[in-house]
Amino acid sequence: MDRRLDRREFLRVMGISAGAAALAACAPSGAGPAASAAAGASAEPLTLPIVSAPLSLSYWCPMSSNVAATMKTFGEIGAYKELEKRTGIHLSFQHPPLNQEVEQFNLLSASGTYPDVVEFNWLSNAPGGPARFLRDGMIIRLNDHIDKYAPNVKKVLADHPEWRKQIITDEGDIYAFPFIRSDVKLLVSTGLAMRQDWLDKLGLKAPTTLDEWRTVLKAFKERDPNGNGKSDEIPLSTWASSPGSGGGSRGAFSRYSFIGAWGIGQDWYQEKGAVKYGPLQPEFREFLTMMVAWYKEGLIDADVFATTQNTFDAKVTNNLVGAASMQGGNGIGKYAGLMAGKGTFKLVPVQQPTLKAGERPLLGGRDNNYPGQGAAAITSSNKRVVETVKMLDYAYSPEGSLLFNFGIEGTSYTMVNGSPTYTDLVMRDPQIPSAQMISRFARGNFNGPFVQDVRYITQYYELPEQKKALDVWTLPVNDKLLPPITVTQDESKKFATTMSDINTRFDEVFTRVWSGKAPIDEWDGFVKALPGMGINDAIKIQQTALDRYNKRPG
Amino acid sequence: MRTATTSLEIIAPLNLPKKGRWQTISRDFRRNKHVYLMLLPVLLYYLIFHYGPMYGAVIAFEDFNPIKGVFGSTWVGLQNFQDFFSSVYFGRLIFNTVAISVLDLVFGFPAPIILALLINELRWNPFKRLVQTVTYLPHFVSVVVVVGMMVDFFARDGLVNQLFATNVAYMQSAEWFRQLFVGSGIWQHVGWLSIVYLAAIATIDPQLYDAAKVDGADRFRQMWHITIPGILPTVVILLILRMGMLMSVGYEKIILMYNPLTYETADVISTYVFRRGILQADFSFSAAVGLFNSAINFALLIGANRISRRLSGHSLW
Amino acid sequence: MVATALRPRRIRHKESSGERLFGFGTVLFLVALMGVTIYPLIYVLFASLSNAAELTQHRGLLFAPLSFTFEAYRRVLENPLILTGYRNTLFIVIVGTALNVFLTALGAYALSRRNVLLRNPAMFFIVFTMFFSGGLIPTYLLVGQTLHLQNTLWALIIPGAVQTLNLIIMRTAFQGVPVALEEAARIDGANDWTILFRIFLPLSWPVVAVMILFYGVAHWNSFFSALVYIRERDLYPLQLVLREILISSNVQNMATDVSSGDVLAIGETIKYATIIVATLPILLVYPYLQRYFVKGVTIGAIKE
Repeated sequence: MDRRLDRREFLRVMGISAGAAALAACAPSGAGPAASAAAGASAEPLTLPIVSAPLSLSYWCPMSSNVAATMKTFGEIGAYKELEKRTGIHLSFQHPPLNQEVEQFNLLSASGTYPDVVEFNWLSNAPGGPARFLRDGMIIRLNDHIDKYAPNVKKVLADHPEWRKQIITDEGDIYAFPFIRSDVKLLVSTGLAMRQDWLDKLGLKAPTTLDEWRTVLKAFKERDPNGNGKSDEIPLSTWASSPGSGGGSRGAFSRYSFIGAWGIGQDWYQEKGAVKYGPLQPEFREFLTMMVAWYKEGLIDADVFATTQNTFDAKVTNNLVGAASMQGGNGIGKYAGLMAGKGTFKLVPVQQPTLKAGERPLLGGRDNNYPGQGAAAITSSNKRVVETVKMLDYAYSPEGSLLFNFGIEGTSYTMVNGSPTYTDLVMRDPQIPSAQMISRFARGNFNGPFVQDVRYITQYYELPEQKKALDVWTLPVNDKLLPPITVTQDESKKFATTMSDINTRFDEVFTRVWSGKAPIDEWDGFVKALPGMGINDAIKIQQTALDRYNKRPG
Repeated sequence: MRTATTSLEIIAPLNLPKKGRWQTISRDFRRNKHVYLMLLPVLLYYLIFHYGPMYGAVIAFEDFNPIKGVFGSTWVGLQNFQDFFSSVYFGRLIFNTVAISVLDLVFGFPAPIILALLINELRWNPFKRLVQTVTYLPHFVSVVVVVGMMVDFFARDGLVNQLFATNVAYMQSAEWFRQLFVGSGIWQHVGWLSIVYLAAIATIDPQLYDAAKVDGADRFRQMWHITIPGILPTVVILLILRMGMLMSVGYEKIILMYNPLTYETADVISTYVFRRGILQADFSFSAAVGLFNSAINFALLIGANRISRRLSGHSLW
Repeated sequence: MVATALRPRRIRHKESSGERLFGFGTVLFLVALMGVTIYPLIYVLFASLSNAAELTQHRGLLFAPLSFTFEAYRRVLENPLILTGYRNTLFIVIVGTALNVFLTALGAYALSRRNVLLRNPAMFFIVFTMFFSGGLIPTYLLVGQTLHLQNTLWALIIPGAVQTLNLIIMRTAFQGVPVALEEAARIDGANDWTILFRIFLPLSWPVVAVMILFYGVAHWNSFFSALVYIRERDLYPLQLVLREILISSNVQNMATDVSSGDVLAIGETIKYATIIVATLPILLVYPYLQRYFVKGVTIGAIKE
């Protein structure tokens, strides 16, 4: 079975930057490890180097495409070379081929002996969940070790109990050194975008409510903003990365973009601790009815369910698309680059629409601070646990944070007014995109066991539109999102069996009704059939998971 | 006529007289010792690399945990199969899988044969080789690119609709899916698949053709009486094997081509399992489904083999 | 018993009008078929030589490269792993195919012998494995750990030493060799080895050529085994290298680096360039094999 990253994970891996604003702000600069010792109760302060005799540890982690472009292993990254100098520990990296980490992980876990450190998305990609791997003895419980030997990460978790709650198992075990996206600006990479030049040409303002959206889309359709005399405009469109896998209709219009206006989600969300399934709510019918009307009026791309990225790119760059859901990087940034100097093309981020004017959007897409990937666990094969813990802890110290987020001072960044700023070497190379250049020195632009600094993304998103996206797309209240709950192995199987059929049915009915092939009654029929298909069991499973999550020891 | 004494012999008859069995066997070994020597490395290969790991098939009956391994995981019996059979879509998945497979069998199996026969009829050698080379080229273009082309050609404002001045949403219509899927498959692979048949034709003794021409047979009679019987064994064997692949419709190309609007005809067993794997990476489930498919395929193969043995004399065993 | 090449003796006979029509129709049909089947590769070729930004905008048929550029090829061929990729793949193809054809010939000959007792059970034994297998993990444990082939190129050659489909095809071909030839050879005192290598193989060049082609191309295109067993990037075969280039350039598409919009879309054209880079060697080698199975020059056997 092929386990390519699903669309959400893919989006997360992409772009997104900025990290330990919190960390850098907390510790006074230059204070060094001593400061951490003062904060942590009985943790040993971290002294460098960690070992006096040379030590080599094996480190398994997925290869990043940013890195693969110019280097063979992570050992060549500037940050790791420097880390070895500072700690005295040599890391021997093992990488599965790109995008093969899930299959390779399965083989690895079957092989009986493991590398010293396994960095992986334990939360989402470890079959049965991280708790199972703790229980079955592949990885070790870290709580005591962190308490004694890892003052930096201990402080981070103490200062942010909401982060700690996300990274532990339901029983309170810490299983890995986590990757944390600290600031809300790091959590949103996707949202709605619209052609500003079309708005200008037609004398319209960016819409905020659904009614305004309809007006604008109609204007796009009828008043020929691309000026070619043909009524070929596609007011609203999107593309689905892999139709039917969670992309497709459930991903089209990308997570809560329009449905969020009603305060419900497309599938799982929660309201005051009670798990809810979107399609069961009456508001979903209202949302669907409106979308059906828009589709019928030609406001939505007629091919919306059969559009691939290539076709979508072609439509955008041929000045056909007025608005769409897209990313800040692989969307706004990419198209701005492709269309630079070609007419008035300007895509700007717009907020998720609301029902009534002046309201704040209720639900937009947002990641959790602990997205799951880049979490480094220590395996039971590791014979030098204390040193490993200390080494991994370093990344959470102020110097370590700078090292992993920005790289080498003087080469990849310099301090400008006390703020780390990427150098031209990294941002302005004529051949190599900055994403790859940064990865030659640091990990701040993808993931890893450290806290991501928000100052990464504020520099990486260079276009004013992209910077604006960080503000516009983070508007929604988002208190109804589900935290990273974990399901047990048995529940997981039952859940998958039940939801496979429900999701398939949902996809079919949703797309058929939306595209006018079936009347809204078919949707009603689907909702009525849900209990018979086992939705209540699925809700119960999610609910117990959420309850366990909420009860997690802080 | 003797009765079979083991179930194996029902399928693969040994045809030994009961009396003097050991003598027959040792005589056979002596007479054919070189042949058995040749067979030995091959059988060893299969034993080590195919039968060696075969214990893993029990994963289908377990709740497989890679850390505990095949022998340490909990036994769940037929639970995985039940999970599969209890799906609301079970019937549809089977139907779609078989429908696509049969459509491909009816059109996709003869196509390379016909192509090989046509190429063989060409008189001018350079042109013959040109046709053969060109037709096999699409086989090397990756399926991602081929589907990408299709999505573009068959879009509402794409080439095909422009050509016929229509506005059909091909890629979003369940009615069109099978035709597009099978048709594009033929287009892409017919040249490559015809190679086997061309090779079979090439081994036909040319003196047969000469003799026929002397007897005044035109090209149609030559084809009917010489070429076709010449490739018949190959055709029959490949047909038997093809029957043993009825349930095997892969997901890779379908995933690229389908969307929920076409699920009705496009969703097959492998794509359903793929989507389920997104929700929960479940070795046991996919192993169970795989075993189910294989069992049906194998039964079909045995049946086809028997029928063919009776009707045509050609068979696998 | 001896195979020689005959100059074709043209036996002329008058073609009927039906035949001529058929011949004409055949040519017409095949030309049309060629036009349709060559298009994908033409598209790939032109796309690989195009400017990426323009290619993104383009829809429909492609009849020429858009703003001719070698940029995509530069990116692909400049990758440090390309050379090692070619080297590794060449090794696998040459050694692997030799092993494949040798073993397959042995097995096909043995299984085509009519008076061998174990013939049917052996066939069953072998064909059974086409349907039932242990799955990835047990195979991985066997090959990688028990046999210690992990991270070697042998892991890509030995586990696939015989492909059952090819074995069956070759057996069918051997079954078609006239019995008289074999009997004549035995009378002359030849044993099975001689018969196989001096008679059957030379007579079956078309099928041997096809075996070389099938096995060779399979090795050339293989990447799944490498994904599973190879850890060091120096040992990556070509397809794996190309796959990595493709993935990393597509993700590159996602970069926010505005100043190089053209550079970003390059992932598109790289996709096509990798196909050409992977396929071109096959296309170059192919004509040498083709002449064996597209019947033209008559290579036949003279009886006795």
